[in-house]
Parts: sequence; structure tokens; C-alpha cells
Amino acid sequence: MIDILRQFRLEPTLEYYFEFFDSIAPLVFGRSLLMAFGTTVACLLLGYPMSYYIAVKSGRRRETLMLLVIIPFWVSFLLRTYALMTILDVNGIVNVVLLSLGLISQPLSLMYNTQAVLLGMIYNYLPFMILPLYASMEKLDKALLEAAGSLGAGPARAFLHVTLPMTRSGIGAGSILVFVPAVGEFIIPQLLGGTESFMIGNLIWTLFLKTRNLWFGSAVSIILIALVVLMVALYMKYVTKGEEMAI
Amino acid sequence: MRNVWGKILKGYSFALYVFLYAPILVMVVFSFNDSKLLAVWRGFSLRWYDTLIEDPTVWRAIYNSVWVALLTAVISMVLGTMTAFVMIRYSFRGKTILDSSLYFPVVIPEITEALSLLLFYVFTGIPLGAFTVVIGHVAFAISYATIVIRARLVGFDRSVEEAAKSLGANELRTFFHVTLPLILPGVIAGGLLAFTVSYDDFIKTAFTAGPGFQTLPLRIYAMASRGGVSPQLNALATITLVVSLGLALARLRLSKP
Repeated sequence: MIDILRQFRLEPTLEYYFEFFDSIAPLVFGRSLLMAFGTTVACLLLGYPMSYYIAVKSGRRRETLMLLVIIPFWVSFLLRTYALMTILDVNGIVNVVLLSLGLISQPLSLMYNTQAVLLGMIYNYLPFMILPLYASMEKLDKALLEAAGSLGAGPARAFLHVTLPMTRSGIGAGSILVFVPAVGEFIIPQLLGGTESFMIGNLIWTLFLKTRNLWFGSAVSIILIALVVLMVALYMKYVTKGEEMAI
Repeated sequence: MRNVWGKILKGYSFALYVFLYAPILVMVVFSFNDSKLLAVWRGFSLRWYDTLIEDPTVWRAIYNSVWVALLTAVISMVLGTMTAFVMIRYSFRGKTILDSSLYFPVVIPEITEALSLLLFYVFTGIPLGAFTVVIGHVAFAISYATIVIRARLVGFDRSVEEAAKSLGANELRTFFHVTLPLILPGVIAGGLLAFTVSYDDFIKTAFTAGPGFQTLPLRIYAMASRGGVSPQLNALATITLVVSLGLALARLRLSKP
């Protein structure tokens, strides 16, 4: 640490930003964006019907169902990712059950690959999507759906032209809440992934805590922050069209 | 037809709830398993908890986590109350910037926050250890505490303060005898949240702790990344989980008037 300190002089240079393009960083960035995008889409597709299911319930039932979505928020990502490892491990419950049923003869290798990371991300981020979706659906006026129905629209049409546009703010808020932290995720790829699922978070971790290249590490993180800000700005401009996000 | 869709939706949602809870349940149940095998039930036992009790590194990690979180909570409660007060009661130049910067730690990717802290310590030459961990935790826990305490101050009826002042109490006396007791549930809720974010924190602690200092999440991470799944780790994770859930329930009770 001390020798690093001695090298800490202020000399403006763009060297580390040029280095960025000659390194594995662009590949890692592309992969992280893809993973975050996949997680967002999967959470949206999985979470939308469930949010709807909760929103059309009423009273105590709805409260209980919602509480069950909120409880996972109280458990840290580290613990929940570890909990998922107990399922996916070579000696984990999935393999034990499948082996004892005779469906497989060798334990499956379910961890340390990209699919496991994606599953871990969806598992951890799903509540972040459901909460804003639910908030936007709760406000949905069901009379409008009935009106669409009585005017001759089928369920599919009513969904596409009434429900979907009216829950747009929830979709926008949920997507940002999932996408932004997912791009910089560290714990999930570190515990569940292998070398081919190395993400920006892992790169920054390695640069700062393993190889101690603080300069290049800083350039990488500045690019990450710029990217996240850009994504959020674009999203707000084109998808939510400047509407306030409902949380 | 409608009924069929309703049933499918119900079954689907139920499956998703199982997906959300099954891993945690498996982890908790198998922490009480009387076997080294991870997923074969051999009867109830506390033996893995016993091995934890005998492990001094675990005790050390629990001890570190608790005192860091307590100190973070106390400092955040004091500074958070002061910040919330200033934000609600006074207007000054640069208030909007200060106000939005409060939300910064809640929004930006955690890892960039962690490395900013590390860079700051390297740049200023502060040696890494328990001290830098606490400073780092306070730096973001303040945001959470302030947001919670401020929510309580927004609906505050100031006429009681005016009554106290017209009866001759000065600013300080009014604050400690009238205002503080009234906003205390909010302040405690803010402190509990600060305790929780500190107690659960992994990434910022990992960046700022240096080699010699280990908290509970760091211990769990080290065990999980080196040895993978183990019954001891199931037990340690279950203990950590119970504390997290207990803190959340306490916050829930405080938020309901």
C-alpha cells in the first residue's frame, strides 16, 4: 500500500482510457450489459403476471402476498446467493433428488457457468421488479378494462391497449431498479460464475484488490458510471418519456 | 375460460413464490442436519452450531460486525437527525445539490462507491482497518438514516414547538424536550436501517477493511468462495439471516404508528 502511495502523483493523462480499448474490458462490458439486459427482460416477463395476480387480489390476502415479495429484500444478496448455492451445488438438493429418482446417473454441474449467474441475478432481482410493477397496477382502474371489453376488445387487445400502456411507469421504474445494479454486480458472478461469466464488478475487484492497478481500475469505473448514467437518461427519454417514475 | 386462466395464474405465482423461498428454506433446514452430507436429511442436530461456537474466527467476525454496525448506527442517527433538520427547516445556497447528493449512495453501483472510498484512503494515506470501515459505513448509512428521519419530520406539527418556546424554553431545550421525543420513533427507525445496511454490507467492507479486519459478511464470503457449500456455513448464514429479519421486523413495527 505504501509504495502505491508514493506513486500517487497528479499528472493528467488519458493513457488509461486508451488502455481500456486494448484490454479485455470492452468484452467484459459487453457481457455485463448483456447479462443485465437479460436479467431485466427475464424479471419483467416473470414478474409481470405475478404482480398482476397480487394487484387484483384485495384486502388482507393482497397484503400477505405483497409481504412475501418484500421479505427477500430484508436478506442480503450475499446470503441469498449462498442459499442458491445450496440448491445448485454438486451435492446440492437438485442433484440429490434427481440422482435418487434415477433421472441422472452422474451429478450435474449446475454452478460456475453463465446460466447459474443469470439464474442468481433473476433470483436476487425479481422482487425489485415486482414492487414497482405492483405499485403501477394497484392504481389501475379496472373499469377501464371493462369498458374496453364492452366496446368489443378481446382480452389480448385490452391488455395491449389499456393495461400495458397504463403500467408503463412501473415497467420503466422496475427496469431501472434491476438494470443499474445488475450491470455492476459482483457477488453473484463471483460465487456462481466461472471465467466465462466474468463481469465489470469482477474486473474492478481484480484491478483494485488483486493486481492493485488503481489507475486503470479508476478509468474502468468512470466508464461504468458514465454508461449507467447514459442508460438511465436514454431510458427516461424514450421509454418513460419524461413521466415520473412510480415507486 | 376465465377460470382456467385464473388457475394458471395462481399456479404460476405459487411456483414463483417457491422459487423465491426454497433456497433460503433449504439452507436453514440443512443447517440443523445431523450429517456432513449437504442434502440428505439424517435427523435434527445442533452440531454445526457447536462447531461455530468453537471457532474463534467466527466469534471475532460477529463481534466486529456488531460493534461496527452499532457505532455506524449511533453516528448516523446523530448526523442524520441534524441533516434532516437542516433540510426541512432551513434554506441556503446549494441546498438542492446537497439534497440530491443524499440519494447518491442509494442509487450508484455499490462497487464504484467502494472503490471511491478505497481511493480516498490511499490518497489521504489513512491506513486501512476497523477505523476506515466505520468511516465508510457511516458515509453511506447517513443517507439511509436521513431519508427515514426526514420522512418523520415532514409531517411534524410545529405548533407544539412554538408553544414550548412561548412558555420560555430556548431552542436547545425545545429540541430535547419536545421535538426529539416526538420524532424519536423515526430516529430509531433510521438508526436501525443504518445498523442493517452496515451489518449486511459486503463490498464496501471488503474494499476498506485491509487484510487484518473481518466482519461476518466477509467471513461468509471467504468460506463460500473457498470451500463452497458446507453445513457450518449453512449454520452461520442462518444466524446472520435471523438477525437481519429481526432488525427488519423491528423497523416494520416502528414505521406503523
